[in-house]
Amino acid sequence: MLAQVEVPTFWSEPYNSPALWTKLVVALLIGLAVLVGLMYAPVRARRPIVAVVTFFSGLYWVMLYAWPIPINRQDNQLPNGPVEAVGFWLKDSNSVIVSFTQILTALLFGLGIYSLLRIHLQRIVKTQRDWGFSVVLLACMSLMVFFGYADWNSRLGERGAMLDNPANWGFVNFGRDFLFEGLLQQMDAAMFSVIAFYILSAAYRAFRVRSVEATILLGTALIVILSLMGAVSGLWDDTIRSAANGNTFILNFQLTTIADWIRNTFQTSSLRGISFGVGIGLLAMGLRIWLSLERTGGSA
Amino acid sequence: MAGEQYLDTGWFGMLVTLLLAVFILVNIRRAKGGKDLFIRRIAGLNAIDEAIGRATEMGRPVLMVPGLSDTVNAIAVQAINIFAYVSRIAARFANPILICCYNAAVYTLAQEVIRDVYQQEGLADRYDQDSVRFVSDRQFAFAAGVSGLILREQTAATFFMGEFYAESLIFAETANSIGSIQVASSTEATQTPFFIAACDYVLIGDEFYAASAYLTRQPVLVGSLIGQDWGKMMIMVLLTLGTIVNSFTLTREVTSEKVDGVFNTIPARKAKLDDSPFNQLIKPSKPKIIVERPIDPTKAAPAAGGGN
Repeated sequence: MLAQVEVPTFWSEPYNSPALWTKLVVALLIGLAVLVGLMYAPVRARRPIVAVVTFFSGLYWVMLYAWPIPINRQDNQLPNGPVEAVGFWLKDSNSVIVSFTQILTALLFGLGIYSLLRIHLQRIVKTQRDWGFSVVLLACMSLMVFFGYADWNSRLGERGAMLDNPANWGFVNFGRDFLFEGLLQQMDAAMFSVIAFYILSAAYRAFRVRSVEATILLGTALIVILSLMGAVSGLWDDTIRSAANGNTFILNFQLTTIADWIRNTFQTSSLRGISFGVGIGLLAMGLRIWLSLERTGGSA
Repeated sequence: MAGEQYLDTGWFGMLVTLLLAVFILVNIRRAKGGKDLFIRRIAGLNAIDEAIGRATEMGRPVLMVPGLSDTVNAIAVQAINIFAYVSRIAARFANPILICCYNAAVYTLAQEVIRDVYQQEGLADRYDQDSVRFVSDRQFAFAAGVSGLILREQTAATFFMGEFYAESLIFAETANSIGSIQVASSTEATQTPFFIAACDYVLIGDEFYAASAYLTRQPVLVGSLIGQDWGKMMIMVLLTLGTIVNSFTLTREVTSEKVDGVFNTIPARKAKLDDSPFNQLIKPSKPKIIVERPIDPTKAAPAAGGGN
């Protein structure tokens, strides 16, 4: 196999190289300086600092989307002019910048786990109402962490390929398989299945004839549902076709034709209209956040 | 240079986006200048105060779910903005709140915002840090967790706002089963019908983004909302123009077509939508350009071929 040799750039220094360590230390020091600066800065000064950081962070993603990024670029090619140079830089930096988000997410996930532990441990210690559920939750969480980590660890190195065959599994592999595939996935599937019953009860309430709007909803839903039932739509459409006897106007009363008309004329156009509104709303929201015009939690 | 991504949409698409941004910024400036701008009545948002009032009378908590966003995005921020308003009213009435988060980053943001809200109201002692909680980042584990909370806490008012998927109906029906008043909004068009069927009040489409402007009447938000409306009017005009131009084009015959930015003469045929000048504005056919770039002598040439 021909190995693809990665050409080092500013964003991809070789593993464990002095250049990589230097950049890590410099980045850490800058990060700490910003953090300490934010902590000791007067409250009024924090807002502009946050606004500047938000603007430049947002600018990167806007540029990544709007700036022309070269296609079919070879690793040993140089950019043609400053526009391409920025495009090269954006493309090279992308994978590293994306990993910043992942690191931040992992850190915040730790805070989430802390929240769960605090709430449920407190409930157990104080034997508050439903403390038994908290015991079950924490026990399940600990078991899953233990078996998940042990299973992952056992698959490292050459043993990993052997463990593809369940005949070679040990206690931790069976434990993880039982907890994840045997319990969690099945419970997920069970929750998903419950939706079918909820659809029925919600549809029953929604389709009751209470008002003109509800009646129209009931009528259209009934037509669309029946058009999807082959036995009903086939019988109805055959009857219409034989009654039409070549009359194209009467052919419009086929169940599938009416259902298609409802879908194409009302459903698609309504959804597109909603999508336009949501898209513009999202743009406005993004613009306000990017330019720090938004004051989260504004007063009532 | 042969670009990819947004530049390929052509000048017209970029101009429309730029105009949308300009409309929003201009109206924010107008609103900041003290111009009185009108927002129509939105029933779902009027119901928020009623729902909190009912929860206070019943002495039961208000539950809020800011959707299942995978990270802190504009949708999650907007949901938390609405919940900040709900929490402010609940704080004034000393009503307990519960905010269930699917994502740890959203949880952290929500906790900070809600704590700020209580502090701004001078009611920091009423803030319970366990009122904002991370539940799970697995869809149905989250659904089960939140449904369990709804049933155990017997919430009197529930607010579902943000990105919702298949679990939307589980939440809505569970809350409905205990008689909780529900105000919901999903940015996912596929879930909106489920909320309409099961909830008391639903914010459809961009009403979700209008909510914070409607509730707080902050000039920046109101101006932005008016800018959005200008944008929608521009799109309506473009749709009308496009319909007329495309309909007219379809009645004609064409003898040339544009391929890779060049017009080629062809035998006469009935026009298709791609022949419409309006479609060509939105989906422009561009000439292919082969780019020659200098070679960096310090870097090795890429390995030829691939595979085994």
